[in-house]
Amino acid sequence: MKKEIYNIVFGGIGGQGILKASEICGWAALYSGLHVKKSEVHGMAQRGGSVESHLRFGKKVFSPLVPLGAADYLVCFHKEEHARLKKFLKPDGTDLAGYLDKAQSVIEDSKYLNTFLVGVLAAYLPITEKNWIMALDKVFSQKIAERNKEVFFKGRGLGKL
Amino acid sequence: MPTRKFTNRSLLSGNEAVAQGAYEAGLRVACAYPGTPSTEILETLATFPEIDAQWSVNEKVAYEVALGAAVGGVRSLFACKHVGLNAAMDPLMTSSYTGILAGFVVVVCDDPGMHSSQNEQDTRWVSIYSKMPLIEPASPSEAKEYIKEAFKISEKFDTPVLFRLTTRISHTKEDVSIGQRHVPEQPAFEVNIKKYVMVPGNAYGRHILVEKRLKKLKSLAEKSRLNRVEMNSKKLGFITSGVTYNYLKEQYPDASYLKLGFVYPFCDEKIKQFAKSVKKLIVVEELDPFLEEHIRGLGIKFSAKDPSFRIGELRPELMPAVVQGQVKREKKTDVRKPRLCQSCPHWFTFAVLKKLKLIVAGDIGCYTLAALPPTSALHSCVCMGAGVTFNEGWRKALPNGKIVGVVGDSTFVHSGVTGLINAAYNKAKGVIFILDNSTTAMTGGQQHPATGLTIRNEPTKKLILEDLCRSCGADNVDVVDPKNHKEFEALVKKRINTDALSVIIARHPCRLIKR
Repeated sequence: MKKEIYNIVFGGIGGQGILKASEICGWAALYSGLHVKKSEVHGMAQRGGSVESHLRFGKKVFSPLVPLGAADYLVCFHKEEHARLKKFLKPDGTDLAGYLDKAQSVIEDSKYLNTFLVGVLAAYLPITEKNWIMALDKVFSQKIAERNKEVFFKGRGLGKL
Repeated sequence: MPTRKFTNRSLLSGNEAVAQGAYEAGLRVACAYPGTPSTEILETLATFPEIDAQWSVNEKVAYEVALGAAVGGVRSLFACKHVGLNAAMDPLMTSSYTGILAGFVVVVCDDPGMHSSQNEQDTRWVSIYSKMPLIEPASPSEAKEYIKEAFKISEKFDTPVLFRLTTRISHTKEDVSIGQRHVPEQPAFEVNIKKYVMVPGNAYGRHILVEKRLKKLKSLAEKSRLNRVEMNSKKLGFITSGVTYNYLKEQYPDASYLKLGFVYPFCDEKIKQFAKSVKKLIVVEELDPFLEEHIRGLGIKFSAKDPSFRIGELRPELMPAVVQGQVKREKKTDVRKPRLCQSCPHWFTFAVLKKLKLIVAGDIGCYTLAALPPTSALHSCVCMGAGVTFNEGWRKALPNGKIVGVVGDSTFVHSGVTGLINAAYNKAKGVIFILDNSTTAMTGGQQHPATGLTIRNEPTKKLILEDLCRSCGADNVDVVDPKNHKEFEALVKKRINTDALSVIIARHPCRLIKR
């Protein structure tokens, strides 16, 4: 692993599958034998409001939150949330917002946006394909796991490897 | 890269870790009423067939059922959010005197920053008030480990144990190791009137024991491994607890720490010793100056956060300002506000209430969002059940006002029903709307008595709200679908002009209910 700790911020609005996206990545990091912490938002804030999930993994993680200006990757699900979320990104961090437009031409249903963006992110992370597949199988029911794997690999193919 | 074995590890939230730890500790009975950020504790416990888990009618009931089970001899747990504990304070205060037979842990989830709450009260004060020990983990993995310790302490010292989480622990997920369940042998229950019947004479004797217990707990706090000293550079030392410890650890990795996990009773000697061993001492805690005020009383010199930081949650990027004692600079937040879902039945109800220019006594639930612009048609929100009782009070003060009360179905069962009985008994008039979406929607759709299903979705006796309201003494009880706009509006107009106590049950299921 190149970095001590990987800091990733996922954000958008309630109902976009943001917690599911960070869940997949969390399990993939866990299967890679890393220490994982991720923050979630539940309850009132989820009712169509801004939703953020921070994911951090590495040898040893303390804070469950990524400080402002410390994210290595920003995975934004909604254009209107981008200006707010950008404050989390490091000056040399990677912003995946550009893939939001690409997603529309690749996925047929917005419910796959989360899996697609996880695929894009996967292209940047030092996690093996085997561990990603285990994570997808863990998070999705058997019925929908195969379809999500297809979407994941589409995203991964488009991401900068 | 050193790797951890993942075969026995799972990604658990703080709430799930509490449930897993309690399961491993042989928990038998668990009770709660849903409330963010605590809800997933009972939802997780209900997945273990060995545990008798229930959604109770309210927190007072939940506390009493769980306490009864612990007094009967099985390990029990009660869980709630911070404001939920207010509803359970009556049994809590005296349970400190009765003590228990098998372990009893009171899990309370505070919500600094009010992600989903009406205030940011700090539960740590309850430990002083009730003379019960308080344990506070800083991560899900600590939550799983410490809850086991909490059961042991409960049994060893014959006391309920307060176990405090905050939103950032409850809703943080971490990879946590999964262990085996071990059920301790059930102690024999014997009738013990002096211990369990709290009449003045008996309670006096119990109070003496409670004070003795507090002394013994204090010496445990001094040696407990939950209060951990990490000596690094002696130039700078922090006394801290909970998630704040983690924020500091990353910003100040070279500093020394006294990290408190067994927070109350305070470990005075350990604190004094630590204070002596570092050049500069800083106490950092979220919300109230709980540690700060006590440590000041010990005559120790230290610095702490500016009082402006007592408001709202702490975040990692705020640590330098907190540590340097700077004043909090409020930043304008541009987060998107939550709102009612599209096609939510509450939209239809509040459209009519707004059109008729009614003053609406509100309550706790999704419908509280009707207070936000542009609807702005809900005009009070204090606590569970107050939609019914505020209506009664407002009408006394404003006899010419066009006043109604609203309350959700789950909230009505929780504590609205007592208000309705009170209104009928005291000859109050007016219209109470039960906004019946047939679930506990705001917390994610939990069952309650009027859904006819248990926490495990098993059919049970169903509470019929219209029958209940009639029994309470309502003069008129109507059931109507608010999406039938004309019918609904006509009924509301009719009832607000009727000199009687009327209940309108506006019934349309929440669109988020899984069918």
